[in-house]
Amino acid sequence: MPEPIPHALTMSSPPDDVDTVHSMLSSVWEENSTVPAIDRFSFETALVELASNVMRHADPGSGISCRLAITVFPDRIEATLTDSGKPGDVQLVGRAMPDELSESGRGIPMIRALVDDLDYSREEGSNSWRISRHLRGSDGSKAPE
Amino acid sequence: METKVTRLPDGATVVRLLGRLNMVSANSLRDTVDDLVEQGSVRIVVDLSEVVFLDSSGLGALIGGVKATRRHGGDLRIAGPTEQVQLVLQLTNMERILAPHPTIESALQHA
Repeated sequence: MPEPIPHALTMSSPPDDVDTVHSMLSSVWEENSTVPAIDRFSFETALVELASNVMRHADPGSGISCRLAITVFPDRIEATLTDSGKPGDVQLVGRAMPDELSESGRGIPMIRALVDDLDYSREEGSNSWRISRHLRGSDGSKAPE
Repeated sequence: METKVTRLPDGATVVRLLGRLNMVSANSLRDTVDDLVEQGSVRIVVDLSEVVFLDSSGLGALIGGVKATRRHGGDLRIAGPTEQVQLVLQLTNMERILAPHPTIESALQHA
């Protein structure tokens, strides 16, 4: 089977924002209508949380440019987000949900709960984020490896 | 996101949201709730039945609304969450302070 072709998009924020990510995902889901609803919701939530985090925290004040690539494999969905912003200063592991009356701080714990992999690296002045979710379908179990 | 505000005869207010409640639209909800509280409307039901997407920024705005209304002796309740909204509420353990009600009527009874 040939390797799936990624959907790719270059964004400049501002004026692009997370609604640009939603629009891109609409095209991805249209072309991949067999992805179960729970996987679509979960992946879209994780990716929008990641993009929000980058647009909010990596912008040095002059805006940032990002490249987003989304690939739907038979058993998983992956996205990579590369941005030109400030180094990502986030604790990816072991971060719990904040106090229930806190109005922020849930993004990273939500991403971790929704995907199987969340990786970050800093190379040549760019941040690179990758998320991956195995398709679970309606029964909540992972697809066979 | 579109917002429609309806004041009910008993003094409660229904805020109906249509679209995505995310980083782009969260401040609009904060402004709407702040204006209502300033005008003395502190019993608010947010109708989420046409919200197709909620993220942590939108959730933060709802929690801000809960705090603002409770400070003035009222409350903010949510009604009609869609599947994606329910997923976010469950993941973030929000059932206690933002208990989802199936309908506006049920939320009003508990407000």
